[in-house]
Amino acid sequence: MNLGLRNQERLRLGVIYALCAIVLIWALAPIYWVAVSSISTRRELYAQPYKIWFPSEPTLESYRTIFTEGAKFRDGGFSPTADLMSSGLRNSVIISVASGAIVTLLATAAGYAFARMSFVGKNLIFLLIMLMLPLPIWVSLIALFFIMSQLELIDTLLGLVLIFVTLLLPLAVWMMTTFVRDIPLEIQDAARVDGAGRWRLVYSIILPLARPGMVAVFLVAMLTTWNNFLIPLIFTRSDDSQPLTIVLTLFIGQYEVAWEDMSAAAVVTMLPPFLMALFFQRYLVRGLTMGAVK
Amino acid sequence: MIRRIFSSDSRYLVVVLAPIILLLALFIYYPAVNTFQTSLTNRNLRIRNQKPKVVGVNNYVKLLEDAEFWEVTGRSFRVVALTLPLEMVVAFGIAMLLNQRFPGRGVMRTLTILPWMLPGVANGFLWGWLLNGEYGALNGFLYQLGIISEYQYWLRDPEHQIFWVCVVQTWTRYAFPTIIVLAGLQSIPEDLFDAARVDGANAIHRVRYITLPLLLPSFGIALVVEFIAAFQIFDVVWTLTAGGSAGGAMNPFTKTLMLYNYELVFRDLRVGLGAALSYIILAMSLAVGLIFVWRVYNQGVQEQ
Repeated sequence: MNLGLRNQERLRLGVIYALCAIVLIWALAPIYWVAVSSISTRRELYAQPYKIWFPSEPTLESYRTIFTEGAKFRDGGFSPTADLMSSGLRNSVIISVASGAIVTLLATAAGYAFARMSFVGKNLIFLLIMLMLPLPIWVSLIALFFIMSQLELIDTLLGLVLIFVTLLLPLAVWMMTTFVRDIPLEIQDAARVDGAGRWRLVYSIILPLARPGMVAVFLVAMLTTWNNFLIPLIFTRSDDSQPLTIVLTLFIGQYEVAWEDMSAAAVVTMLPPFLMALFFQRYLVRGLTMGAVK
Repeated sequence: MIRRIFSSDSRYLVVVLAPIILLLALFIYYPAVNTFQTSLTNRNLRIRNQKPKVVGVNNYVKLLEDAEFWEVTGRSFRVVALTLPLEMVVAFGIAMLLNQRFPGRGVMRTLTILPWMLPGVANGFLWGWLLNGEYGALNGFLYQLGIISEYQYWLRDPEHQIFWVCVVQTWTRYAFPTIIVLAGLQSIPEDLFDAARVDGANAIHRVRYITLPLLLPSFGIALVVEFIAAFQIFDVVWTLTAGGSAGGAMNPFTKTLMLYNYELVFRDLRVGLGAALSYIILAMSLAVGLIFVWRVYNQGVQEQ
């Protein structure tokens, strides 16, 4: 009887792990293959019909190529793209970190206001911010392009950061409002009695206590900005501001294709979000599903 | 004393809320109104020194009478019709699996969610390479297993292109419904199943009569969010099948609403017409989203 139970449990786990294997192949095989492609030599990568599932001589040559020579055959023919990769990386880092930081600060300060202060028009302002959450912003983007042209913000990092901050605000403000609301009132009241002004209160009481929320907002904002493609597609034109998502599409050649180089470019584009998803998933999932679950 | 607090409060509010309101007004609300105004004009940047004229609802009428519009709209709905069931089935299966107790479940969960966090353009590229007709990994894999005897051009046939777009969209997005459904599963009380077991219900019955009905709200949320995502699909198509990223012609067979709209405004520069289309897309998203919510809600009420 005891033995039967144990066998049954073993069978259950066996089935579960078999199913896990299938799920993992589905989820990870495409990622694995692009990573392998990026470190393969061309000869092995183009092997046919039998594929080589792990390179016999792994090489970082493709990475060197994309950063020093660029794409050999850029879309539309040959054009020098040697610096595109590094400028793309620089732009992606700048806009993601800047948008994340700015939106986190704004949302924390605003979250405190919506959670703890009463003022005229509070509900209306909150509604106007939140209305953006379910509404697709596409209708705004068309006219925004012409507004940005007039402001001479097309193809600038500043322009991109301003747009991303705006787009990220509703979710961020909402997250921080709920977060601040969950901080026990007593602690704040004690500080109020001590005569602390709003700024000092937020800075010395709210900031430390709301840190998990702020980290979540920052990470979600950074990830969303890094991954976005449509905004830079519309609002950038040159390596002054093109982030990696755009550079990747520029590397995809029309006539001749260097898959190992493109794979390396894809890996560089995917690596930061990949690592963030591995190490900070709790924060990210909380932030990204918040709109739906609450 | 009171006055001091008041003035310090209002200064705080002004400093904090003014930039937010300004950004929203300048970048979202004013452009939204402006786009709508533009949609009532014949603005076209191809025509030099054009003085756009107000043409009323002409753009909307023109679109609704245009065969290409209906073709593209139909395609978008086909993408939705194929992607949503695919996603829900995958999500339900994985959520059921992750709801089991087994060592390594946490790691499994982390790894399963990964694709969702990656850039859509990268995902499109990934699958394009995987499905490549000459050197693709899928070909190699199936060949080695003996399932195909020669390499296939998976993305050649226009019908297949749409299918693969849906698969890649599913791969990109399934994690979200999985998380929602998993949360729903975990909120179902264990004793409901015990009671059903005592009454002699087998596993399939338990899923059919307990799990699925109780998951309806979760599926409802997931469906609405995923509907918007699939209906406005853009990034994945761009790198998977759109082709011609630097001004070349767009592949007409996978042109969905958003790509069509992008083309109208930023390639053809028919801004008035494109603006009208953007509002039609908005209206359709909202309408279908509302119908979804309404139906799922009603069904949930009836089941109880």
